[in-house]
Amino acid sequence: MEITKDKAITQLDNFANVNQLLVAESPKAINVCDFTGRFHGRTVVDNINLEISDGSITAIVGPSGCGKSTFLRSINRMNDRISGWSRQGSIELYGEQVYANDVELLSLRRRVGMVFQRPNPFPMSIEENIACGVRAHRLAPRSHMKDIVRARLEEVGLWKAVSGRLKESPFQLSGGQQQLLCLARALAVQPEVLLLDEPTSSLDPISTQAVEELLKEFVPELTIVIVTHNLAQAKRIADNVAFFMNGSLVEFGSCEQIFDSPKEPETAKYVSGIFG
Amino acid sequence: MSTHTSSTQGLPFSPLRGSPLSASPKGQLNSSKYPYRVFLGLARWWRAVVEQSPQYLSAVLGAIPFLALVAIVIILFHEAFPAIKVNGGGFVTHSKWSVGSEYANPIRRDGVATPVGATYGAWPLILGTLEASALALIIAVPVSLLSALIVVEKLSARASRWVGVFLEILVGIPSVIYGLWGALTLGPFLAHHLAPIANHIPNVPILRFFRGPTYNGEGLLTAGVVLGIMIIPIIASTARDLIRQVPASLKDGGRAIGMTDFEVSRKVIWPWIKSGIVGATFLGLGRALGETMAVLMTCGAVLGTTAHSIFSNMNTIAATIVSQLDSAQTDGTGFAVRSLAELGCILIVITLICNIGAKLLLSRATHDTTTT
Amino acid sequence: MTQRPPSPALDQLNKKRRFKDRLLWGIAACALIVIVIPIIWIISQVVSKAIPHMSMSVLLTNTIGNGGGLKQAIVGSITLLVLVGAIAGVTGIGAGIYIARYAPRAIAGFLRSTVEILAGVPSIVVGFVGYIALVVGSHWSFSIWAATIVLSAMVVPYIAKATEVSLRGVSDSLREAGEAIGLRDSLVLRKILIKSASPGIVTGFILALAISVGETAPLLYTAGWSTTSPTFSLKHSPIGYLTYPVWTFYDFPVKSASYLALEAAMLLIILVIALIALAHLLRHKLSKNLPQSL
Ligand SMILES: Nc1ncnc2c1ncn2[C@@H]1O[C@H](COP(=O)(O)OP(=O)(O)O)[C@@H](O)[C@H]1O
Ligand SMILES: [Mg+2]
Repeated sequence: MEITKDKAITQLDNFANVNQLLVAESPKAINVCDFTGRFHGRTVVDNINLEISDGSITAIVGPSGCGKSTFLRSINRMNDRISGWSRQGSIELYGEQVYANDVELLSLRRRVGMVFQRPNPFPMSIEENIACGVRAHRLAPRSHMKDIVRARLEEVGLWKAVSGRLKESPFQLSGGQQQLLCLARALAVQPEVLLLDEPTSSLDPISTQAVEELLKEFVPELTIVIVTHNLAQAKRIADNVAFFMNGSLVEFGSCEQIFDSPKEPETAKYVSGIFG
Repeated sequence: MSTHTSSTQGLPFSPLRGSPLSASPKGQLNSSKYPYRVFLGLARWWRAVVEQSPQYLSAVLGAIPFLALVAIVIILFHEAFPAIKVNGGGFVTHSKWSVGSEYANPIRRDGVATPVGATYGAWPLILGTLEASALALIIAVPVSLLSALIVVEKLSARASRWVGVFLEILVGIPSVIYGLWGALTLGPFLAHHLAPIANHIPNVPILRFFRGPTYNGEGLLTAGVVLGIMIIPIIASTARDLIRQVPASLKDGGRAIGMTDFEVSRKVIWPWIKSGIVGATFLGLGRALGETMAVLMTCGAVLGTTAHSIFSNMNTIAATIVSQLDSAQTDGTGFAVRSLAELGCILIVITLICNIGAKLLLSRATHDTTTT
Repeated sequence: MTQRPPSPALDQLNKKRRFKDRLLWGIAACALIVIVIPIIWIISQVVSKAIPHMSMSVLLTNTIGNGGGLKQAIVGSITLLVLVGAIAGVTGIGAGIYIARYAPRAIAGFLRSTVEILAGVPSIVVGFVGYIALVVGSHWSFSIWAATIVLSAMVVPYIAKATEVSLRGVSDSLREAGEAIGLRDSLVLRKILIKSASPGIVTGFILALAISVGETAPLLYTAGWSTTSPTFSLKHSPIGYLTYPVWTFYDFPVKSASYLALEAAMLLIILVIALIALAHLLRHKLSKNLPQSL
C-alpha cells in the first residue's frame, strides 16, 4: 500500500475517511487504545495507550511479572487461547483492528512475527524450519524455496555455519544459533512487525550482540517491539522505551528521554537500578 | 557477521505489506490461483473442513473409551441382574458353588428360571482373591519401593534405563507364561524347598496357616508369589516417578546437615512420597485382583472351600469366571452364566474402588509436589 | 577456633550410621535382583525346555488335535496384532489427541479418568462382556471380530494415555512458535506436536500391542480356537492364537501336547521381547532429532 504524496492529494476527495490519509502519511504501526487484559478476572495489563511508529525499535522494560509478555502477546493475539483470558480496548495494526471479528488470525500472525525467550526450533530440519511457514502461507512457489532459505539464513548470519547441514536437525546448533534460526523462521513469512520476548535472556553475550546488531539492521523495513530485562540492551538498540509497572504503562518516550530525563519517579528509580 | 542481504536475492522485504487482516475473499486466497468464484467458495469450504476435521474426528474417538466403559458396566450388570435377585446376600457369604441338575425341569425362583439345586456362594472366591492379592502386595511393595529408591538415588541414567527395560519385560511376559512357570517350576520348587522348612512352624492357631500339605505346589503361596512378581512393574514405576519428583534442594538440605543417603531417604523422601506410595499400592492391588490366567494355573482352582494354609489349593473370582464358563454353558436356563456375571460385577466394583482410590491418592500426591 | 578433641563415641556413632547406610542400600540392591531373577528364570526355563522340540515343522504346519505345529496360531496372533494395532491405534491415538489438545478442561479431566478406569477393568471382565454381548448376544459365535473388539477395548486406554501424556509433554512454546508464524492448527498438530510426541506415542502403542499379544482370558470365549488359518467373516470365524496352546496343553498327559505348549510359550516370549526391542529402537530413532532426546 504505497501511497505517494501526489497520488494521495489527488485522491483526497475520494477518501471519506481523512484518518486513513493521516495513517498513510505518518504511519503508526501499532496503535493501542485503552487496552486492558485479564487472567481469570485479575487485571494483568491495565488500560494501556501506546502508539508505536513504523520502522522503529520499541523496548518494553519493567520488573518481572508486570505484564510485559502478556501485553506483547496481545498484539498478535497469542493470549486468545489461554483459559481465563479476557480483554477490553483495541489494538490497531496499520489502522486495522487486530481484535475485529473477521480478522484472519493466520494472516495477522504472518504480518506480526514473534520470537520467544528460549530458542524453540521446530522438530524438523534446519531448512524445513524456514520453509514451512513460507509454504503454509503460499508466499513463494516451491522452486524458490532454496533461495528463500538461503536468503533468510544469510540475513541472520547463519548461512556460513549451517549451509552444509541444511537437512540436519536444528538441535545440534548452539543456543545462540538456534535463536538466530528462530529469528530467520519468523522473518521468512515477511512480517511487518516483529515481537521479541526477552530474545537474548538465554544467550551468551556474543550471541546477544549478534542478535542486537541484526535487529538494528532490520529497521526501518521492520517495526520491532522487544521486551527486555536488560536496561543496557534497551539503551543500545531502542528508539523508544515503554516502562511498565504492575500492568500499567508508566511512561513512554524516546530512549534518551527515558534514560536521561524520566518524568515519573518510578521510571527514574527503575532506570537507576533502585528496584527491578 | 553478515550484512543485510534481504534484497540481494530478489526478495523484497515485504511485498505483502498491508495485505488485509480480514477474511474477505480478496485477502485470503489469491484469486489468480482460483479463477472461479464458485471454485473459490468450494476451496474455502474444503479447507475449513480439513482444518476442523482433526478436532471432530478426535472428539468422536475420544468418546469411545467412555462409551466402552459404559457399555461394559451396563451389559455386565444387565446380565447379572436376575442372578443378583435370586442369589441375594447369600452370594457373598455362602461357600457352595453348584450349577444344579441338568436333567430335572428348571424351577422358577423370584421369577427367574433356575435349575433344581443350583446354588451359588462366592465367599471362598472373594476371600481367595483378597488373600492372593494381599500376599502379592506383601511381596511386591517392598521390592518395588526399594528398587525405585535405588534406581533414582544411586544408579546411573544408563543403568536405570535398563531397569526400566526389565520392568517392561515383566509387564510384557504373557500371564499364561507366568502361569506355566508357576505351575511347572516355581510351585514344585516351593513345595520341595520351602514347605519342609515351613513344617517346623508350630502347629498352633494362626501360625498353622503358614504350614501344611502342598498339593504338588499349586496353591495360595504360589499364586501369591506369581501375582506379586506380576504387579512389581506397576508399583515400581509409579514409585520411581514419585521419587523423581522430590525436589533435589530438599535432599541436598538433608545431606548438608550430614545425613547419610538412607537417612535422607527415610526422613526427606519418604514423607514426601508416602501417600503416593499408598496410591501405587492400590494400583497394584487393582491389577492383582483382576489377574486371571496366572492365578488359574497356579492356585489349584478348587471350588467351595477356603484355604487352610498358604499351601492349600484355593481360587479367585477372576480364575473362576474362566474355569467355570465352560460348564456354565451346559445350564440351559442361562442362570450359571448370570451368576458368573454377578462374580464379574463384584470384581469390577472392587477393582474400580481400588483404581479410583489410587487415582485420588496419586493425584493428591503429585498435586502436593507442585504446590509446595 | 579451638580444635575439637576426637570423640570416640561420635566416631562409633558415625561408623554405625555408615554401616547401616551401606547395609540398607545392599538390601535395596537385592530388590533389583528380585526383579531380574524371575525374568531370567522364566525365560531360561521356557526356552531350555522348548528348544529341544523346536523345528521348522512347528512353524510350517497347523495344529492337529493336540499335536502338529503352530502355524495357524502364529498367523492368528499376528493377524490379531495387526487388526488391534489398526483399530486400537487409531482410536487410542485419536482419543489421546482429543484429550490433550482439543477437549475443554472439564471434559479432558473427565475423559482422562475414564481412560484410567477402563485401563483398570480386569481383562477377564472385558472378555466376559464380549462373550455375552457379541458371541452370544449378537449370535456372532466365536469370531475374529469379537476378539479384535475385546482386545482393542483393553489396550485403547494404554495407547490413549501414552499419546496424551506425550502430547502434554511438548512444550507450549513450540506450539506457540507454530501459531506465531501463522501455521494452521492442523499443521501445528501434525508437523510439530505429534512429531515431538512421537517417541512416547510409538513406544506406548507398541508396548500396548505386546500386552495384547499375550492375552488369553479375554480370547478364550471370544476368539475360540481354530486349527486352520483365520477367516475374516463376522460370524463363525474362530481363530487360533499362541496363548491358547500354552493354557490348554501345558498339563496334558500327552507329550506332543505339552511340547506344543512350551513351543508356543517360547514363541510368545520371542514375540514380546522383539516388540519391546522394536519400541526402544523406534523411540531412539524418533527422539534423535528432538530437543529432549533421552
Ligand atoms: N497463562 C496465564 N494464566 C494466568 N496468569 C498469567 C498467565 N500468564 C501470565 N500470568 C500472570 O500475568 C502477570 C504478568 O505476567 P507476564 O506478562 O508474563 O509478566 P512479565 O513478562 O512482565 O514478566 C503475572 O502475574 C502472571 O502471573
Ligand atoms: Mg515475560
